Amino acid sequence: MTDRLTFDAIVVGAGPAGVAAALTMAHGGLNVIIIERGRFAGAKNLFGGVFYTHALADVLPDYWERKPPFERPVTEQGYWMLSPDSAIRVMHKSERYLKEPADAYTVLRARFDPWFAEQAVAAGALLITRTTVTRLLKDERGRVIGVDTDRPDGCVYAPVVIIAEGVNNLLTQQAGLIASDLPPKYVALAVKEYINLPAKELQTRFGLSGPREGVAIDVFGDVTLGLPGTGFIYTDQSGISIGVGMLLDEFVTHRLRPYEVLERFKNHPVVRPYLEGGEVREYGAHLIPEMGYDRMPKLASDGVMVAGDAAGMVDALHREGTNLAITAGKMAGETALAAHQAGDFSAAFLSRYRRSLEASFVLKDMKQYRRMTDFLESSPQFMGTYVNLLNEAALRYFTAHGIPKRTMEHDILKMVRERRSFTGVAWDMLKLMRAMRG
Amino acid sequence: MHAVVAIKQVPDTSNVRIDPETGTLIREGVPAIVNPYDIHAVEAAVQLKERLGGGQVTVITMGPPKAAEALLECVEQGADRAILISDRKFGGADTLATSYVLAHTIEAINAELPVDIIFFGKQAIDGDTAQVGPGVATRLNIPLITYAVAIEEFDLAARRAVVHRRVEQGIEVLETTLPVLLTVEKEIAPVRHAPLPRLIAAARYQPETWTATSPVLFDPQQIGLKGSPTVVGKAYTPPPRSGGDVLSVADLGLDAVVARAMAVIGQAHVRDLQPVTGVVS
Repeated sequence: MTDRLTFDAIVVGAGPAGVAAALTMAHGGLNVIIIERGRFAGAKNLFGGVFYTHALADVLPDYWERKPPFERPVTEQGYWMLSPDSAIRVMHKSERYLKEPADAYTVLRARFDPWFAEQAVAAGALLITRTTVTRLLKDERGRVIGVDTDRPDGCVYAPVVIIAEGVNNLLTQQAGLIASDLPPKYVALAVKEYINLPAKELQTRFGLSGPREGVAIDVFGDVTLGLPGTGFIYTDQSGISIGVGMLLDEFVTHRLRPYEVLERFKNHPVVRPYLEGGEVREYGAHLIPEMGYDRMPKLASDGVMVAGDAAGMVDALHREGTNLAITAGKMAGETALAAHQAGDFSAAFLSRYRRSLEASFVLKDMKQYRRMTDFLESSPQFMGTYVNLLNEAALRYFTAHGIPKRTMEHDILKMVRERRSFTGVAWDMLKLMRAMRG
Repeated sequence: MHAVVAIKQVPDTSNVRIDPETGTLIREGVPAIVNPYDIHAVEAAVQLKERLGGGQVTVITMGPPKAAEALLECVEQGADRAILISDRKFGGADTLATSYVLAHTIEAINAELPVDIIFFGKQAIDGDTAQVGPGVATRLNIPLITYAVAIEEFDLAARRAVVHRRVEQGIEVLETTLPVLLTVEKEIAPVRHAPLPRLIAAARYQPETWTATSPVLFDPQQIGLKGSPTVVGKAYTPPPRSGGDVLSVADLGLDAVVARAMAVIGQAHVRDLQPVTGVVS
């Protein structure tokens, strides 16, 4: 055992959480190894979505000079509420989105992650790909002292391991940080396509003046057949990321096939014209942990910490996750640096990690929206009844039939009463406010 | 024992598409891999080294800077030294120019440490010519064994080896002097899962880069486009074949089916065919 492979820290997974942790530790002078099971960082990823830059700027202040492979800045964003044949579209556009670097960019993670990992390698971290960590190595007292991999002679040792393994959190379970697999009630399945369109055509369709403008749309209502969940449409450089995410439970209960839900969305009369003539280049599905604050794993134990999707760090309501992961990775990295200085890798010392997260937006937001998943599941009228009502009301409001306006207003109110009583509406609003306030 | 393995980085052809308008390969977004036969060649060299209890495996490739990735994969598999021969002046090389560059490189390597055996994959999956290995053997004036599937004996002291070679009828067993050049089939050695310490070594390894002028000088007349007499006239995607006719014996009867088949064959100008009527079980 004289020449066993030893590092100052091991990071499992080269996603945003893992790379942020590795970068932070490498900047702090630690000898870090990142072990990634994909062929390259980002290979196992599907994400095409909105990336918020604030967290990246904290980890890599000069990120802009390093030319990150962003798709388009988000200069217009908002919501589409679909009924079966109509849509209410609430979009926000502002000149203030036009600064550079912008607050948010659309990103294809299969392009972004390799770049991000390269920055960690440039900082001195060692990136090993095509290698799966199969188990945690523990000493006789149960402290984590390294990992084993699917490679021959595959054991690596370090006083601290940061698990950033993603949604399939097998190691997190092995570390004893979480009891069991996530129930399907708290896991969303997102299906997504990347549809290629020439940049010029894309810009015309979405009303963009050039490559430095982009749109991010979250879609509710008929996109998920009125069930809890969202659809999304994001403009990339020369293509569209379009997808639907719903809780696994809903797919099972309602016997829905994910790709059929997506096909339906793509063929919605309001959506279809944006996609016409585009070539589907990629199709895939990925799980998103929506366990919420109350079901998050313990974040640290002796010699080990967990960050990102593995720890359920997702704010589904605001389609955030990557920024939570980067911030958490950075804080785990900082905690590992402090632990090295103190020579203390105990659970007690590493609990600083959780305290940092509690002081940050990561756990504050997760705490505030802790009831959101349950709320939406128990109040399907928000995605179904209300969205359809709004569309019906809009149709009445915007069309002239030679009917007095007073009669029209009565009709609309009657419609509301029939589909959901006024007390029901009042009750729903109250519940929504509670869920939002946390 | 000193083995040299020449490899090539190729587009993963399971992903390759042809631009229907220009007839050229769409390389954008297509992952690059080590030519599948070549990685077996590396493995064969490494296993030979292990069998002999020591030696050196040197891997070489000619290609763009990106081809260094392919070399690192070979280092992971156990190669000791990797040389990237890369220079814009090499660009546009056909098999003649490529075989010149590789042969000249191997001569230079041989001058540093004598080479006992040279491995090539039997062919590259992007060009499918199977010309470069034999070309190099010819230029070096050493024995060539193509489609090698096993090295039965390898005797450094006696300077001889016994190699199995796949031919259509079966296996040829050939005895050769050393040094020898083999182009190999995949059976020569199964690719093993590289151990983690090798991956770490490769992640820290920096391949050497040889240019057209340093550390050895290549003849500018024999490299790149200048040294490549091959001209590609046209590349195109052949039209997809239409499906064949299905004649049902049950519906038409055997004689009618045979008659129809013979008529079609006759139209295709196939001569001297006699129908053999009999029962097909």
